[in-house]
Amino acid sequence: MQNTSSTEQIEQDVLAAMSRPSRCYLACIFFAGLVFLGGMALWSRQIALGMGVAGISHPVGWGVYITDFVFWVGIAHSGTLISAVLYIFRARFRTSFNRAAEAMTIFALMVAGLFPLIHLGRVWLAYFLFPYPNQRQLWVNFRSPLVWDVFAVSTYMLVSLVFFFVGLVPDLAIVARRRPGFVGKIYRIASLGWVGNSQQWRHYTKLYFFLAAFATPLVASVHSIVSWDFAVSIVPGWHTTIFAPYFVAGAILSGTAMVITLVIPMRRLLRLETYIPISHIESIAKILLLTSLIVGFAYVVEQGLAFYSGNLYEMEQFRFRALGDYRLLFWIMVSCNAILPLTLFVGRLRRNLAYLFILSLLVNVGMWLERFVIVVTSLARDFDPYAWGNYTPSLTEIGITAGSFGLFFLLFLLFIKILPVLSITELKER
Amino acid sequence: MDRRQFLQMLGLVSGAAALSSCGSEKGQKELVSLLVPAEDGIVPGTETWQPSTCCECPAHCGLLTRVRENRPVKLEGNPRHPVNRGGLCLRGQAALWRLYHPQRLQTPLKRQADGRLQAITWAQALTEITEALQLSRQQGRKNTWLAGRTSGTLSTLIEELCDSLDIERLAEFEPFSHAALRQSYRLLLDQADLPRYRVEQADLLITIGADLLETFLSPVDYTAQASTLAADQKRHWMHLEPHYSLTGANADDRLVLTPGSEGALLLWLLHSLASQSRYQSRWSQTLQDLLPSTDLAATAGATGLKPQQLQELVSRLMQAKKPLLIVGGIATGHRNGQPVALFGALLQRLIALPWAGLDFSAAENYSRVGSLLDLKDLNQQLAADRIGVLFVSRCNPVRHSPTDLGLKAALAKATLRVGLADLADDTTDQMDLILPLAHGLETWGDTEPRRGIVGLLQPIASPRQQALSEGDLLLKLLQQATGKSPAADWAGYLQQNWQKRFSRAQLGQLMEDGYLFEPQPQPSIRLDQARAAKALRNLQLQAPLTLPAAVIAPSIRSFDGRSRSLELLSEIPDPLTTISYGSWMAVAPQTADRLRLRDGNELQIKTADWQSTQPVRIQPGLATEILALPMDSLPAPVTGIDPLTGEALRYVEGLQLNPTGKLHRLPILAGSPSQHGRGLIPKPVQRKKKNDLQHHGPRASFYPEPEYENYRWTMAIDLQRCVGCSACVASCYIENNVPVVGASDHLAGREMSWLRIEPFYDKHGRVDFLPMLCQHCNYAPCEAVCPVYAAYHNPEGLNVQVYNRCVGTRYCSNNCPYKVRRFNWWQHKRTPPLDQLRNPDVPVRSKGMMEKCTFCLQRIRIAKDRAKDDKRLVQDGEVTTACAQSCPAGAIVFGNLLDKESKIYRLTHSQRAYRVLAELGTEPGVHYLRPE
Repeated sequence: MQNTSSTEQIEQDVLAAMSRPSRCYLACIFFAGLVFLGGMALWSRQIALGMGVAGISHPVGWGVYITDFVFWVGIAHSGTLISAVLYIFRARFRTSFNRAAEAMTIFALMVAGLFPLIHLGRVWLAYFLFPYPNQRQLWVNFRSPLVWDVFAVSTYMLVSLVFFFVGLVPDLAIVARRRPGFVGKIYRIASLGWVGNSQQWRHYTKLYFFLAAFATPLVASVHSIVSWDFAVSIVPGWHTTIFAPYFVAGAILSGTAMVITLVIPMRRLLRLETYIPISHIESIAKILLLTSLIVGFAYVVEQGLAFYSGNLYEMEQFRFRALGDYRLLFWIMVSCNAILPLTLFVGRLRRNLAYLFILSLLVNVGMWLERFVIVVTSLARDFDPYAWGNYTPSLTEIGITAGSFGLFFLLFLLFIKILPVLSITELKER
Repeated sequence: MDRRQFLQMLGLVSGAAALSSCGSEKGQKELVSLLVPAEDGIVPGTETWQPSTCCECPAHCGLLTRVRENRPVKLEGNPRHPVNRGGLCLRGQAALWRLYHPQRLQTPLKRQADGRLQAITWAQALTEITEALQLSRQQGRKNTWLAGRTSGTLSTLIEELCDSLDIERLAEFEPFSHAALRQSYRLLLDQADLPRYRVEQADLLITIGADLLETFLSPVDYTAQASTLAADQKRHWMHLEPHYSLTGANADDRLVLTPGSEGALLLWLLHSLASQSRYQSRWSQTLQDLLPSTDLAATAGATGLKPQQLQELVSRLMQAKKPLLIVGGIATGHRNGQPVALFGALLQRLIALPWAGLDFSAAENYSRVGSLLDLKDLNQQLAADRIGVLFVSRCNPVRHSPTDLGLKAALAKATLRVGLADLADDTTDQMDLILPLAHGLETWGDTEPRRGIVGLLQPIASPRQQALSEGDLLLKLLQQATGKSPAADWAGYLQQNWQKRFSRAQLGQLMEDGYLFEPQPQPSIRLDQARAAKALRNLQLQAPLTLPAAVIAPSIRSFDGRSRSLELLSEIPDPLTTISYGSWMAVAPQTADRLRLRDGNELQIKTADWQSTQPVRIQPGLATEILALPMDSLPAPVTGIDPLTGEALRYVEGLQLNPTGKLHRLPILAGSPSQHGRGLIPKPVQRKKKNDLQHHGPRASFYPEPEYENYRWTMAIDLQRCVGCSACVASCYIENNVPVVGASDHLAGREMSWLRIEPFYDKHGRVDFLPMLCQHCNYAPCEAVCPVYAAYHNPEGLNVQVYNRCVGTRYCSNNCPYKVRRFNWWQHKRTPPLDQLRNPDVPVRSKGMMEKCTFCLQRIRIAKDRAKDDKRLVQDGEVTTACAQSCPAGAIVFGNLLDKESKIYRLTHSQRAYRVLAELGTEPGVHYLRPE
C-alpha cells in the first residue's frame, strides 16, 4: 500500500465518473436506446413478414447479419486478450484498459449472440440448436460448425462474465464503502462480503490468475471456431486452412481498434488522463500494428494461394473479390486494415490521440467490410455460373445493424455510470 | 379387461365424443366424409386417373388427369396417345392453372353505357342475343360466328346452330394459321390440311423457319420426334432462320440467313437438285423452265450464307436417303412468304415423296381455318355496317390483327358483339356481352386434331360458378331462339352423335382410353402440273428484307399469346434468355457493344410508321443485324397482312436503333451465360475413357459409407435429348406445390423452382441446356452443415429435407455447390381458387424454411406401398418423377440403381455418363449423359 492520500485520490477520481449523469450523457443514452429500439422493431417486422424483408437471397444466403455476428465476436476478442493474456505476461499498461475491454467483450458478445437468432428463418424454433433431452430423441448435428458455434460462443460468454465479475469484486467493495444507503447495499451484496484482508487477497490473486490462464486459450478457440463456419464448407473463398489464424488476428485487430475507439473519448470525458497515460495507449497501438501486419499477410497469402492453386473456382473467386462488383469494398478493406495501420511505425503518430482515434474507426470499418467481403463475395460466385448473383443489403439489415451499435453503446454508457471504469485496486498497486 | 383394452375403449369413447361435438354441422359432415367413403365412390386419400384431352393449344395432346378428392391436381401426357405419347409441354402442365385461374369469367357479363361490366343471368343474356338476332335480320344485317379452330361434334353443333338461326359461320381464326403453307399444299397437292411430318424417320432434316419445338403444329409430337434425331449420330438436322429460336438451338447445325431470303435459298436448292439424275424423273422440264434462274453467288449474296454452307446443304441432301424438309413458321411471315411456301412444297415433293415424309393420312385438321384475309373481309363488312350480331368464340382477333386494320374500331359497328371466353382478353374488352366458357376439364366433348384421332373431353371438375360449355351454351341459344333443341343438353347431344358415329366397342374404348385412333389411308397425292406452272408463272420473288430487321418471334411459353395470362408460365424463364417476367428485345453481342448497351438498357427501334421500345437482352449467337422480339412483348404482334397468302407479317425492316439511355431491371435468372470452362457440360473432346463411377477408389472418411439395402434412387438426364423446353419445370411446379412468387421476388433472385434449365453458351453462341435439380449426393455437403439434421440422408439415397425440423440457417444452401435449395422468404399464398391446385401428398411449406427437389418422394411412397401390398420390391419403371414423366423428349430416366437390370443402371454405366462437379466428391445421384 502506498500512502493514504494518493489512494484516496485514485478512489475519488475513478469514482467521480460514477457521479450524477449530465444532460449530455442522458441524451446519448436516449439516442442509443432509440436506435436499439428501432432495430428491434425492424426485427419484429422481419419475424412477422419473413426473411424476405432482408436483402439476402439466392445464392447469397448469408449477408449483413452474419457479417455483424463475426464482427461483434471479433470485437469481443480484445477483452480477453488485454485482460487475461496481458495479466499473465504482467504487462503493466493493461490496468488502463482491462475493465473497459472486459466490459466491451461482454457487451459485444451480447450483441453478437443476437445475430445468429436474427438470421434464423424460424427464430421461434431456435432452441432446436441446443442438445436438450426430449422424447422425440431429436439431437443436434455435431458435425455442423453452427453447433460448435453455439458452444464456443456460450463458453466464451460464461468465462468472460466470470472473469469480469471476479475482477470487479474488490472495486465493488470500495464503491459500497463510499456509497451510503440502498445503492450501497446493492454494491455490498455484489461484492460478496469482500473486506480486503490478506487471506482474501491470497485466494483472490490465485483465482484471478487461474481464470486468466483459463481464458487465454479461448482467445484462439472462439474465433477459430467462428472461422470454421466458413472453412468447413466447400465454398470457394471460404474453404481454406488459413482461416483460423487469419480470423483470430483479424479479431484482435478489430478488438484493439474498438478499445482505442472507446478509451480515448472515455479518458477525456471522465478526466482519467493521469491513470491512462499516453505511453499505455501507445502500447495498445503497437498491438494494433502487429495484428494489422498479420492480417495484411493473410490477405496476400489468400490471393497467392488462389493464384497458384490452378483451381478454376478459387481463381475466379479471388479475381472477383479484387476486380468484380464488390471491388470497392475490397480495396477499402485492404487500405483500412493492412495499409493505413502501417503509419503506426511512426512513433509520433502512435502517440497522437486524435490520429489514433480516427485510425481505429477506420480499422473498425475495414474489419466490418472484411467480414462482408468474405461472406458475400464467396457466395456470390461459387461453382455453378447460372446461380451466380449479387447481394445488396436492405434497409432492414442496415437498421438492425445500426440497432446493434445502439445496444452496444447503450450498454457501455450504462457501464461507465454503474461500475468503476478502471480497476481501482490495481491502480493502487501501481 | 386388461390395461390395453381399457385404453382402447377409452380412446374410442373419447374419440367418438370429440367427433360428435366438433364444430358446425358442415364441419362435421366434412370430418365424417373423411372417415366414411362417400356414396359417389370418392375415397379420400386415394387418387384416380381420368383420361382427357389438353385444350391449351390446337395440338390437343392426350391427357391423364390425376384426381384427388374430386379435384384435378396434376396433368400428365397419356403414354399411349398417338399425338404426344406421354409427354406434355409446359403449357399443357399449366392448363390446370387456367382451370383454377382467379380471374376466370364466372357469370355472363353485360357492358353498361359507361363501359363497365355488370353480371347478368343466362336468361337475360340469351334473351338479349335472341332479340338482337331478330333485330338484325329485320335490318338486313348479317349475323356472324367467328371462332378459333374447332373440331369434332362441337363443329357439327355450330353448323346446326348457324343453319337454323341463319348465322354465317366465318372461317376460323388462328393466329398461327399456316396460311401460306396451306395455300401451297392446296394449290400444288390439292390438300386442304397440313401434313404430319415424319421427322423420326428422316435421316436428314432441314427445317426452315419452322419452330418444331415451340409452336409449330404439334410441338410435343415434334419435340419427341426431333429428340430421336439428336440422339442418333448418323442422322443430321439443319435449321435455317434469321433469329435464334429454341428449335435452332437444338439443331445439329443452325444456319443464319437474311430474313426474306428463304425463297432464294429454296429456289437454288430446287435448281441444284432438279438437275440430279436421282430426281429428274420426278420433275418436269416445264416447271424447270418456269423457275426463275439463279446461281450460287446470287444465292449466297441474298441469304448471307457462305457458298460452302450452301454446297454442304446440297451435298447433304444428295447423300441423304430419307431427307425431309419442313418450311414454315417465321419463314413465311414476310412479303416473300408465298414463294417460300411454294418452293418449299415443290422441294418437299421432289425429295420427300419416295418415303412419304409428309404424312397426309394423319393430317392436322386445319381445313376450316382461314387467314387474316378473311379477317380483313369481316373488317370491311363491319365497316360497311353489314354485320348484326357478331359472336367471337375462343379467339383473340383484336390482338392478332395488325393495328392499321382498325378491327377494334370496326367492331363497334356491329349491333351486338358477343364474346365467348374463359378469361378476359383484348377482344372481350370490345364485347357487349361476355359469356363465360367452361374449361376443357369441366365439360364433355371431343376433338379431332388430326385425321383419324378423336380425343375425349370429360368433366373432371365442376364448372366454375355459372360458366357453361360452349355446347350447352349453343343448345340453350337454340332453345331460346327457335323453341326447340336437338338435345336436352350437350352431353345428350354428344351421345346422339357418338352413337351414330361409333360402334359400341369404339365408344367403350373412347371412354376408357380417352382417345380413338384409326389410321387413315394415305390419300393419293399428285402434283398438279398445270396449277404449279400457273403459280410459278405468277410468282414474284422479291428482295430480302432490309437490315437491320426485327423478328417477332413466337414463344414456347405462351404459344401465340393465349397462355400469357397463366402466371406459372411467366414464372418459368424463357429457356434461351432466362428472363421470366416482363418484355424484352434480344440483340446480338456485337450490336450491343456497338451501341454500348448492357442487359436492361432500353432501346427504341423504329421505322416511319412503327416503333417499339424495350429493354434489351444480349443474346449470344444472334445475327448482328437482327433484333428478336418475343410476341408477348408487343401489344400487336402482327405488323401487316401478306396480301398473297393472308399470312401474318412478323418482321419489321430497315430499322433505326436509338438507345434511350434508360435502364430497366430485367429478371434474368442466369448469373452468367457461359460455364467459364468449368465443364458442367463437358465438351465432347474431354471424353474420359471410364466414367467416374469406376474411376474413384474407396474414399477416406471418418464417417461410415452410406449403405443402401433395397433402393438407391437415381436419375439420369440425357443432355443429347434435352431440348430445354422446360416442360419438366412446369410439371415440377404443379406436382410439388412449388410457390409462384412473381416478378419482384425474381428480381431479388428468389425464384423457388426446384428444377431449372440452365442454358450455357459457348463462344460461337451455340447453347447446351443443363437441367439442374437437387443431385441427391451420397456425400451431400448440405447434410453435414445442418445443425439440426433437417437435411439428412435417408436409407434409399435420398437427400431429404425435414421441413418441420428446419430452423432456417440457410447454411445448407450456401454449402450446396449446385445451388438447388430454395428458401421460403415469405409465407407464400395462392389467390383462391388457385389454392385448390394443390397436391395433397406434398406438404405446403411455410415461411423461413428450406425446400428443394425430393425426387418426388410422394410418388416413391405410393409405389412402395403398392409393392409392399404385393410383398415385392418396386419394379423398374413402376415409379418415375413428375419431371421425367412430362419430358416430351424422354431425356430423364428415374429408377433404382441397385437393380442391375434397370434402365437407370444401364444409363449410369454408359460411356457418356458423367456427374456435374464430380471432382468435389459429392457423388451425386443424378447422372448426366454428355452430348456427343
